Amino acid sequence: MDWLINLLPFSYTDSVVFIGAVILGVAAGVLGAFAVLRQRSLVGDALSHATLPGVCVAFIATGAKDASTLAVGAAVAGFIGAAMILAIERTGRIRPDAAIGVVLTSFFSLGIVLLTFLANFNNANQAGLDRYLFGQAAGLLESDLVAMGSLCAVSLLLVALAFRPLKTALFDMSFAGSVGLPVRLIELAMTAMLVIAIVIGVRTVGAILMVAMLVVPTVTARQLTSRLSLLLVIAGIVGAMVGSTGALISASATLPTGPTIVIVGFCVALMAILLAPRRGVLWRSGKLLRDRRRALNEGVLIDLETALHAGAPPTTEELATLSGRPASQVKKGLRDLDRAGALRTEQGRIHLTESGAGMVHALLHQRSLWSAWLEYGWTLDIPDAREPDPRDLKSSLGDDLTNTLLQRAREGGWTAS
Amino acid sequence: MSAASELKAPALEVRRLTASYSSRPALWDVDAEFPESSLAAIVGPNGAGKSTLLKAIVGLQPVDAGHVLIDGKPASENLDRVAYVPQRDAVDWDFPITVKEVVEMGRYREAGWISRLGQRDHELVDQAIERVGMGPFARRQIGELSGGQRQRVFIARALAQEAPLMLLDEPFAGVDARTESALLDLLLSIRDGGRTVVVVHHDIGTVRSRFDWALLLNVRTVACGPVAESLSPDSLRRAYGGSAGGSDVELGEWTG
Repeated sequence: MDWLINLLPFSYTDSVVFIGAVILGVAAGVLGAFAVLRQRSLVGDALSHATLPGVCVAFIATGAKDASTLAVGAAVAGFIGAAMILAIERTGRIRPDAAIGVVLTSFFSLGIVLLTFLANFNNANQAGLDRYLFGQAAGLLESDLVAMGSLCAVSLLLVALAFRPLKTALFDMSFAGSVGLPVRLIELAMTAMLVIAIVIGVRTVGAILMVAMLVVPTVTARQLTSRLSLLLVIAGIVGAMVGSTGALISASATLPTGPTIVIVGFCVALMAILLAPRRGVLWRSGKLLRDRRRALNEGVLIDLETALHAGAPPTTEELATLSGRPASQVKKGLRDLDRAGALRTEQGRIHLTESGAGMVHALLHQRSLWSAWLEYGWTLDIPDAREPDPRDLKSSLGDDLTNTLLQRAREGGWTAS
Repeated sequence: MSAASELKAPALEVRRLTASYSSRPALWDVDAEFPESSLAAIVGPNGAGKSTLLKAIVGLQPVDAGHVLIDGKPASENLDRVAYVPQRDAVDWDFPITVKEVVEMGRYREAGWISRLGQRDHELVDQAIERVGMGPFARRQIGELSGGQRQRVFIARALAQEAPLMLLDEPFAGVDARTESALLDLLLSIRDGGRTVVVVHHDIGTVRSRFDWALLLNVRTVACGPVAESLSPDSLRRAYGGSAGGSDVELGEWTG
């Protein structure tokens, strides 16, 4: 570990903090993904809270204050908490969220009672245990790093080795069982992975906020990829970046470590939720607006065509009256169409240009194709899993099928416009 | 069909099977057999134990008594001869995985859970995807698919398993008529390829017109045999109670 600490451009203390935060971030990111993707994120929250009494009991039993000894107590308490959640769900026919609520609060209360008891009983020794509430990066020892790092490395290795069984069970538990995978064992392993991630991170991030480090990396990574293998890698990287950035900020600005890390994580997740391509809020609302705009423009264009067909070229107001749309909408649509070169205005009256007429023609053709599909689509034999898209039937069905469709429609006495 | 199928050895036999959820029997003393290379349906009212029976066959549901034989051998020894297709809504369709990766899961048991998929595995996966018409969608994320396409992916995964017996739980739930008909054609072609296909299904009309064989279930076996015999008005009345009584037309349109 020395060479690594020397390599980093920080002071000794900061280097230890940095390495510890990277390890915890990678572990929480990768292992937490298995809870999030199973929709069991809050189990992670309950187990984080459940570690607190374990830490206290380990301290009472051994008198030791080093992170590794206390981590054993945390792990044991985490497993007991997990077992209790399962037991409450199974025996009492109680929903998982209620079982989680029961275990989270009761274990955490027990932890607080024990902490207070220790504080009254033996003031000097208790100092340090309360860092498990909100977390503290300072005070990690090099030996703790070695223990954390080994635990993290071993679990990541196991994830890599058991990637296929894990992926299969994660996606489809009953299929996994039907092909002979030991699903109970896999569920146990996933719980163990969660406990390991929590135990590695709880001292730095704190029992109350640990769940953020389990969830944030996966939420972020899911925005960026649709492949599980890549998601795990990205979650690990995001976890490491969030953990180390937060820990270093908290160390240099003397802010509480857990909350600082979580705020950094929140910013990262928020950015991913807002800005991610395809899945991001911005991208999707942009698409929604474009789609609405397109629907409006197409509607106004059709209305204009109808009006031109019926009589003299209309004014904007006449078109609004004819179409029954609010005048502001009609104006907006006309503005877009004008910009696209579809319109020509003479003395306030609106005409279609040549390209505008072409647009009308294409649009009417698309609509008539869709009507043909609705009426005659059932006669078509679609050879594969293609499904028609009303906005673009031709490219979603393919040219051959579209031609057959039109032929059937004509045979049926149907006239395309 | 019925005369021919009775000559063949049953691909799947269920003998005196009892299984329960928290002490209430979901299946009670069920006897059934399904002939080889047939398209068979399991029909019955809600809560009749149809899905439970499929789960019990593949070992997902603990059994209180009785046994299941696949090709004449206890099911637990012959599980590699069964491909199970769970209900579609049992999985999270926003899961980060592509069509091809889902179908590859069908090869994991044969290929080994750790070692790389071989060339033959990849060929089988591609063939299965083509067979269900999902070729153009192989690289899609599963969340982008329609209900019918998702069902096709599940069927492709089962095909890739190369098992002679295929069990499907409600494959037609929530798909439109055209898709149901297309999926049914697919299942018929799979049967014609020599596999035995057992489907949990609601629509007695479709079962009558297109399936070979049916098990009519209502916790106990009501009838089991060629559709003309097992789905007689009389046995349907016994399975569904008075509500399904009446003319054939009504029964044909009955959907439980």
